[in-house]
Amino acid sequence: MNDTPARGVEEKAGPGSSLLLTLLLPIIIVNIIAFVMPVANLAAMSFREAASTGSLSDVVSLKVWASLLEDSYYWSIAWRTIWLGVLITIITLILSYPIALFASRAERGRAVLIVLCISPLLLSAVVRTYGWMVILGEQGFLPALIRQVGFTPPRLINNEVGVVIGMTEILMPYMILSLLSGFGKLDVTLEQAAETLGANRFTVLRRIVLPLSLPGILLGSLLCFVLAVSSFITPKMLAGGRVALLATEIYDQAIVTLNWPLAACLSVLILTVFGAALLFYGQLTKIIE
Amino acid sequence: MSARIWHIAHLIGIITIMAFLLAPVILVFPISFSADAYVAWPPSAWSTRWYGELFRNEEMVQAFKNSMVLALIVTSLTLLIATPAAVALTRSVFPGREALISFFTAPLLLPSIVLGLAILIIFVGYGLVGSWPGVMIGHLVITLPYALRVLITGLSTLPANVEDAAGTLGANPFVVFRRVTLPLIVPALIASAALAFIVSFDEVVISLFIAGTQLKLLPVSLYHYVESRADPLVAAISALMVLGTLAIVLVVERAVGLRRAVAK
Amino acid sequence: MHLKVESLGKRYGIFPPSVTDLSFSLKHGELLGLLGPSGCGKTTTLRMISGLVSATSGKITVGGQDVTQLPTFRRNMGVMFQSYALFPHMTVAENVAFGLEMRKVPKDEIARRVASALALVHLEKVGERKPRQLSGGQQQRVALARALVIEPDILLLDEPLSNLDAKLRDNMRNEIRDIQQRLSITTVFVTHDQTEAMAICDRIVVMNGGKLEQMGTPREIYETPATPMVADFVGRINRLSGRWAGKDMVSLGESHIRVRNQGVEGNSVLVMVRPHRIRLVKHDQPEGATADNVVPGVLRQITYIGDTLQYAVEALGGIVLVDEATRFAASGHHPGDRVLLCWAAGDTLTFDMVTPQ
Repeated sequence: MNDTPARGVEEKAGPGSSLLLTLLLPIIIVNIIAFVMPVANLAAMSFREAASTGSLSDVVSLKVWASLLEDSYYWSIAWRTIWLGVLITIITLILSYPIALFASRAERGRAVLIVLCISPLLLSAVVRTYGWMVILGEQGFLPALIRQVGFTPPRLINNEVGVVIGMTEILMPYMILSLLSGFGKLDVTLEQAAETLGANRFTVLRRIVLPLSLPGILLGSLLCFVLAVSSFITPKMLAGGRVALLATEIYDQAIVTLNWPLAACLSVLILTVFGAALLFYGQLTKIIE
Repeated sequence: MSARIWHIAHLIGIITIMAFLLAPVILVFPISFSADAYVAWPPSAWSTRWYGELFRNEEMVQAFKNSMVLALIVTSLTLLIATPAAVALTRSVFPGREALISFFTAPLLLPSIVLGLAILIIFVGYGLVGSWPGVMIGHLVITLPYALRVLITGLSTLPANVEDAAGTLGANPFVVFRRVTLPLIVPALIASAALAFIVSFDEVVISLFIAGTQLKLLPVSLYHYVESRADPLVAAISALMVLGTLAIVLVVERAVGLRRAVAK
Repeated sequence: MHLKVESLGKRYGIFPPSVTDLSFSLKHGELLGLLGPSGCGKTTTLRMISGLVSATSGKITVGGQDVTQLPTFRRNMGVMFQSYALFPHMTVAENVAFGLEMRKVPKDEIARRVASALALVHLEKVGERKPRQLSGGQQQRVALARALVIEPDILLLDEPLSNLDAKLRDNMRNEIRDIQQRLSITTVFVTHDQTEAMAICDRIVVMNGGKLEQMGTPREIYETPATPMVADFVGRINRLSGRWAGKDMVSLGESHIRVRNQGVEGNSVLVMVRPHRIRLVKHDQPEGATADNVVPGVLRQITYIGDTLQYAVEALGGIVLVDEATRFAASGHHPGDRVLLCWAAGDTLTFDMVTPQ
C-alpha cells in the first residue's frame, strides 16, 4: 500500500533537465528535419504555382486549389478513392471478424494463430502485392483454377476488382489486431450468463458479442479505411495504372508531371479525408458510449 | 449432431480465410521454381533458373547489398537515438510528456505517400535526394516511432524498485543504467532492432521518392522491374525475402525467449 | 543521537502534504518502528530518509552530518524494499556483492564478506542461484544480506514482512531483530502491523495523516496512548462517549463510571477500555463483582477464537466487547444472559473531546 500519489506525480530521481534535453535532442532533430519541416512545407506548397517548365513561383496563390476543385476529373478520383476505401473496409471487416473471434476464444495454438495473422505485416508491400499479381494475373493461379473447373475466368487484375481483393488481404492483419484489442474486454462469462438465460449461439452473438465488440470494430474500420485511402503500391501495381486514385495521382503529379503544388494539394486533400473519417469515428464512438 | 457439423463448417471457414490471408506469401514459392519465361500457372516445368538469374542480375544484387547496409545502419542509429529518448520519457515527469510521446509517434499516422512527397520536396533543396544520409534520415523518421514504443513498454515493465535498490547500494545514475537497466531491457532492445531492420529493409514508398536513380534499393528495384517485365525473377527474390524475414523472427524469438527466462 | 529527523515534510504539488512537521531521533543501535494505517506517510518518510524522495522541508542528520541534500547513492544506508527488488539478471552472490563493488572493495574481500553475509541469514548454499529460483522467504533474506553487507550507518526496512505468510512472518521478524541487535545497527522499520511493531521495536512512532501521533516504547503506546487514534490502532479497544460528572467520574448514559483522570464537569469525553480488562460476572452472583466499575448488561454474542472467547455485551447504550482467555472462562455464559461488566478505574482511558465525536 502506497501513501504516495499516482506515479505520474511522484518525483523520481531521474535525469536533471539539461541531461533530459540531451537525451531527447537526437530524436527531436530527426523529427524536425524529416517530419515537421517537410509537412509544413508541403502544406505551404499547395499555395504556390507551378510554371509549365516545372519551376515554382514565389507567389502565394489559390490558383492550384481553384483548378483542383473545379476539375471534375479530380472529384471523380476523390470519389472513387473514398468509395473503394469504404468497400474494402467492409469486406475486410466481414472476413476478419470470424478470425479475430476464433483467435480470442481459442486456448491452445492461440499465439500461433495470432502470429500467423500478423506475419504478413513483416513483408514488404511490393512482395505481398506481387504475390497477388501471381494469383490474379491472367495466367495466374486463380484464373487457372477457374479454367480447370470449366468456367471462363473474369478479369481479376488491372481493374478495380483486383485492387479490392489485394487491398483486403493486405489490410486484414490490421483489422484483426484492432478487433482483438476490442475483444480483450469481452468476458467469456458474459456469454455463459446469456446461455444460462436461454440464448442460443446466434442470439448470443447478435445481442452480446457484437455490441460489446463495437469499439474494436470501429477502431479497425477507421484504421483500414485510412490505410486503404492512402495506399499507393498495392493499387498501383494491381491496377496497372488503369485505376486512378488519390495516392497514384499524387505520385504521377509529383514525379512524372513535376507539378508539386498540385501534388501538395492532393496530399492535403487526403489528409482532409482522414480528418473527416476521424471526426466520424469520434461521433460514432460517442454514440455507442 | 448439427452442432458438430456447424463446428466443422466453422473450422473450414476459418481455414479458408487464413489461406486467403497467407496465399500471396505462400504462392511466390512455387512460381519461383518455374522454368517459364513468364509468370504462368501452372508452370510448364520446374527449375531453379530464376534463382540463378537473380545472382547474375547486377542491379538486383547491388540493390540487395544497399538495402542490407542501409537497414543495418538505420537499425544501429535507431537504437542509439531511441534508447536515450525512451529512458528520458520513462524516468522523468515533466509537463507535456504525453504530448511529446504523441509527437514522436505522429510520423506513423501520416500516409507514406504524403510523407515521402513532403520529404522529397525538402530534400531536393538540400541535395539530399539519392544520398545515403538523406535515405537514412528518411528511414529513421519511421523506424524511430516503432522502436520508441517497444522500448518505452520495456522500460515501464521493469521489476519494481530495482533501480532504486541499486541507488541505495551506492550506484550513481550512470552505473544504475549500465549495470541494472540495460541488461534488463535487452529483450526490448532486440525486438526494437529486429523491427527497425525489417521496416527499413521493406520500406518502398519513401525510398521510391528519395532514393533517386543512383541509390538502388531492393524494394524500389523490384517495383520498377515488375512494371516492365513479367518474369518470375521477382518471385525468386520475394521467396528469399520471406525466408529471410522468417529467419530474423526465429532468431529474435530464441534470443528474446531465452533472455526472458533468464531475466525473471 | 545517531539519526535525527527534524520537521520533515513532503508535499507533492497541489496535493495535501504527505508528511507534515515530523521529528524524531534514534540512538545508536536502536530499532524504531514507523507504524500507522495505509496512507499515513510512513513509507514516504522512509524514502525521504533514504533519499529516494527529496524532502520539501526539514532536515535529516546522520551521526551529526546533514544528509538532507545528499543523493541516495552517497548516503550509505541499507534499504530493504517491500518487493525485495533483487536484480533478476544477477545471481544471489552478485546481488549481495553489488554494494561492495560500488565501494571498490577488492575482489577477494568481496567474496569473503558476501559469504559471511549469506551465512548471517542462513543462506550459505544459494550463492549461484538466480532470485527467481528462490522462495519468497529466501528472497527476503537475500535482500537483507545485500543491505547489511555494506555495513551501512542506518538500516531501513520498508514493510519487509508483508509479502510473507503468517508463520514465516513471525520467524523472520525475530530473526531480523536478532541480527539487528547482534550488529547493533540503527534501524527504522516501517509496518502497518501493530503486533510486529510491538514485538520487536525499541520504540514506536505512530503516524496518522502525515503527522506524528505518539512516540514511545511499545508499553507506553499500548498502556498510555496519547490519542484515541493510537489507542484504537494498537489493539482492540472499546469506545464510549459521555460527559464529565464530578471529580473522576464520567456519566455514560444512565451509569456513572470511575476513571483514572480528571476533567471539567459537563465537557464531552471519550472513554476507552481494553476488552481484556473487563470481567464478565453472572448477574445473579454479584459477590464476584468487586471492582471500581460494575455495569449491568445483556450478553448478545459469543465468538470462540481458540485461546480467547470474545463477548459482545449490550450495555451502556451500545455494545461493549469483552475478551476472556478460554482457560479462565467461567462456566456457561449463554447469549441472552444478564451479566455484570467489571473493570478497574485505572484501566479506563479518557480523552477530552473538543468537538463531538
